[in-house]
Amino acid sequence: MTKETSEGPMITVNILHRLKDNLPVVVVSIFSIVLFIMIGFKGGAPQLFNVIVTGGMWALLATGLALVFGVMNIPHFAHGESFMVGAYVAYFTFTPINKTFLASGSKFLLYLGPFLAIIAAGLAGCVLGIIIEKIIFAPLRHRTKEGWVMNAFLLTVGLSFILTNGTTLALGPNFRGISRYFDVPSLEIMGAYIAVDRIVAAAIALVTIGLLWFFLRRTKTGRAIRAVSQDETGAQLVGIDLDFIQTLTFSLATGMAAISGASLLFMFQAYPTVGLTPLYFSWYVVMLVGLGNIAGAIVGGFIVALLQSGTQLFIGLSWQSVVPTVVMILVLMMAPSGIFGSEVKGVQEQ
Amino acid sequence: MNSTATFVEKGTLWQRFISFINKIGFSPLGLALLLIVAVLPNFYPFSQEYVIRWLIMGAFLAAQSVAFDFTAGYINIVNFGFAALLGLGAYTSGIFANTTPFLLYAPGLSPWITIWIGALVAGLVGFVLGILTLRMRGIFAAVMAWFVGIALMGLVNNLTDLTRGPLGMNPVKFIETPNNLPYFYIILSMMVLIYIVLKLIVGSNIGLAFKAIGQNPDAARASGINPTKYLVFNFTLSAFFAGLLGGFYAHFFGSLTPSTLMHTSKTVEILAIAYIGGRGSLWGGIAIAFPFVFFIEFLRSNLSSLPGIHMVIYGVLMVSIMIYYPNGFSGFYFWAVAKIKSLLKK
Repeated sequence: MTKETSEGPMITVNILHRLKDNLPVVVVSIFSIVLFIMIGFKGGAPQLFNVIVTGGMWALLATGLALVFGVMNIPHFAHGESFMVGAYVAYFTFTPINKTFLASGSKFLLYLGPFLAIIAAGLAGCVLGIIIEKIIFAPLRHRTKEGWVMNAFLLTVGLSFILTNGTTLALGPNFRGISRYFDVPSLEIMGAYIAVDRIVAAAIALVTIGLLWFFLRRTKTGRAIRAVSQDETGAQLVGIDLDFIQTLTFSLATGMAAISGASLLFMFQAYPTVGLTPLYFSWYVVMLVGLGNIAGAIVGGFIVALLQSGTQLFIGLSWQSVVPTVVMILVLMMAPSGIFGSEVKGVQEQ
Repeated sequence: MNSTATFVEKGTLWQRFISFINKIGFSPLGLALLLIVAVLPNFYPFSQEYVIRWLIMGAFLAAQSVAFDFTAGYINIVNFGFAALLGLGAYTSGIFANTTPFLLYAPGLSPWITIWIGALVAGLVGFVLGILTLRMRGIFAAVMAWFVGIALMGLVNNLTDLTRGPLGMNPVKFIETPNNLPYFYIILSMMVLIYIVLKLIVGSNIGLAFKAIGQNPDAARASGINPTKYLVFNFTLSAFFAGLLGGFYAHFFGSLTPSTLMHTSKTVEILAIAYIGGRGSLWGGIAIAFPFVFFIEFLRSNLSSLPGIHMVIYGVLMVSIMIYYPNGFSGFYFWAVAKIKSLLKK
């Protein structure tokens, strides 16, 4: 009896203490829920579904960014170009495949086409990631680690410059897009009509994130990746092949960005600088939640999508780049290392 | 006797001259090259209007790279919103010089005054940016500056009453003349002014403080340097000069659109020049910018079947210099001078 009475206020104090420690998280959660309800009232089910689609895609892109930063300490500025490559590969595989499948007349093949294109884009992204890592980052890493974060950042800036302009050179500045992947009528969900493409894109994003999560948590290689992100030297001591893990991480991140570029081809047409908006928003997510925080990046993707959708509904589409920045400044003033904090070692030293 | 006396006096005069130009940041070679560039457009192959335009472009890029390197090369923060600050200066100056009414009022001030207003506004935003990025380390600050730059560009796109948004506005020109030569001397003197001011600053104790902060903020703080003060000062000054150059752009080209002026890729161009020139030297960018513009224009006119090849070359150069020769052109110059001196001693 006496025990309970003494514990009662203790628990309240404890909760208050934890609330105070996690103030940014609490504020942002409440804010997001309110925004979600408001968007639901004003825009209805299609808007909410839109939030899920874009949120999933931002989450997919931001996880790649967080992964690369967490494991390799590279602030990846050419992430949008991976998105662009994915979009192009999907376009160039999908159009001929669709033509042949359309000629064959088989319904099953027609539904298969988009998935083939997206998978091809993902694979191309992985290969591109391996090439970039082996040609650009591996030499620098082996040469010097001094000022690594800044140098890697500038390298990716140069890389993005080369990739965008190289694409313009090779393919011209034309827009290449498709109106839709699946030539079927929209599905009716909760009284709203939603295009099948969007549903598929959301599903792909969620499944890919789920697979990545499973890979990182449950497999030996995934655990090795997390080990490297926690302590490089320690990981090396227990016999983890650092080079392999870093190449794998980079190629995974590039592949994921390519998948999101491919599955959003109906929204973002493929053109050389298509990557800037996705790059901007995925960086925005990562800065908001804390650099290198993978779990945070998944949640953050949806928060940013909510914010975007809210801006679009209540203020106007063209303010999409202004309002998030203001929010970001406010958040970073409250919590300089992001809402959920950054656990990456080596960032503070460099 | 008499002649030796004058000789000695001449010698001291010469030495005093050298020490003076050294103080304002020139070596005799640098000054000679600058003078050559200054008289260049008066002689034939360079006196054609399009070549003068290239020279103007070169001086414009060179001046930008000096202002950019002042932040990137000294306190080691890449100001990724540089182009946006430049655009802000350009638009502010353009709006104040505008003779057509907006918001029921046409200021119509002289461009010679408004470029300073633009510079002040850009400097103010740089001041705010400096305060915002205070507690952040290198990469966070760069990304923050980038976000602020994107927000500025969004603002310019949206305030259509003032800026006509993506349609672009047409500010008045400095001088109503078909010749480009006056403009060349305007931008050249701006470049020299910016260079001398910034060089004097980095040559003083303040410059040492910048370097200390750039290398290790904690150690700098421990040795009694207040990073806040220096960081904000650096950002403000760099942004001020960016705004000034923006004003020149506005009243030289006479047409402004957000995407040709404030886009991230414009910052990257300046970054490429500053880095190829060599970080932390200020003059490296100037030395690179002029030959670079000629090289790029040469490529563009000879490889017109391959639009955008010059950009790819930019990028490849930057990446390879980053990996294999991080000191850039200025580092190479100092290395070569040391090498020649040691050879002469032998």
